[in-house]
Amino acid sequence: MTTTIAEQEVALVDLVDRLLGGGVVIAGDITLSVADVDLVYVGLRALVSSVATAEEKNALPRMGSAL
Amino acid sequence: MIELYAITDDPTPPDPPLRAVESNGLTALCAPTGRREVTPDALWRHEEVVEALMESRDLLPVRFGTIVSDERAAARAVEQRKEELAASLERVRGAVELAVRAQRRDPEGDAPPESESGRKYMIAKARRLAAARPVHEPLAALARDSALQRGPELLHAAYLVDRDAVERFVSLVRRLQREHPELDILCTGPWPPYSFAEAGGRS
Repeated sequence: MTTTIAEQEVALVDLVDRLLGGGVVIAGDITLSVADVDLVYVGLRALVSSVATAEEKNALPRMGSAL
Repeated sequence: MIELYAITDDPTPPDPPLRAVESNGLTALCAPTGRREVTPDALWRHEEVVEALMESRDLLPVRFGTIVSDERAAARAVEQRKEELAASLERVRGAVELAVRAQRRDPEGDAPPESESGRKYMIAKARRLAAARPVHEPLAALARDSALQRGPELLHAAYLVDRDAVERFVSLVRRLQREHPELDILCTGPWPPYSFAEAGGRS
């Protein structure tokens, strides 16, 4: 199964959303600085908005790169 | 320093370099780590580890970047929240997460500008919710649980889906896409249940 660049971008955005915004929060040293996280988010949010226009109009939804 | 990847109650030992730190029936799956940068590659590598673990066991993924000094600290951290963690594990048992976004192909009318008046904004938001309903409701009915998430899209949601219902879910997404040619519906997954790991949703 081939995935388009746009689909890979969507999967990456979904990944960042989950890894940095989801999951169990356990007491520990979170080593990520706010600046790191913001940097990743800003870069990826820009991708999200570009996905709609980049997406091939006839593309069916398919599974992302996970599993 | 060790990094936590997931919490499980499955006794199957993980493959090295992962280690299992057991504490009162719950196990933290972790691995030695050094400090590193947040790059897409680092995030994918982390995800691959959790997905490999998820193939053979039920688990709660731990938020990326959770690092403790040693195994004792890991056990202590799990111990502190063991009731909640056990309850969350029960909630996601046998299920995975699927992400769905729906956007209009013609984005006009979506995502009202922030500068609009409060009333206009609320009306536009209500319209978007109404437009998302024909996609969200059938998916939510098939899923065990769902979580609507903030975003610029018409619909941005996570669904907790039984492992054996994933194919049906994906077929349903495809059908909804055919029924709604005015929308782009994008589905990714299956993901570990990141959006359902905490009882109150995401923090």
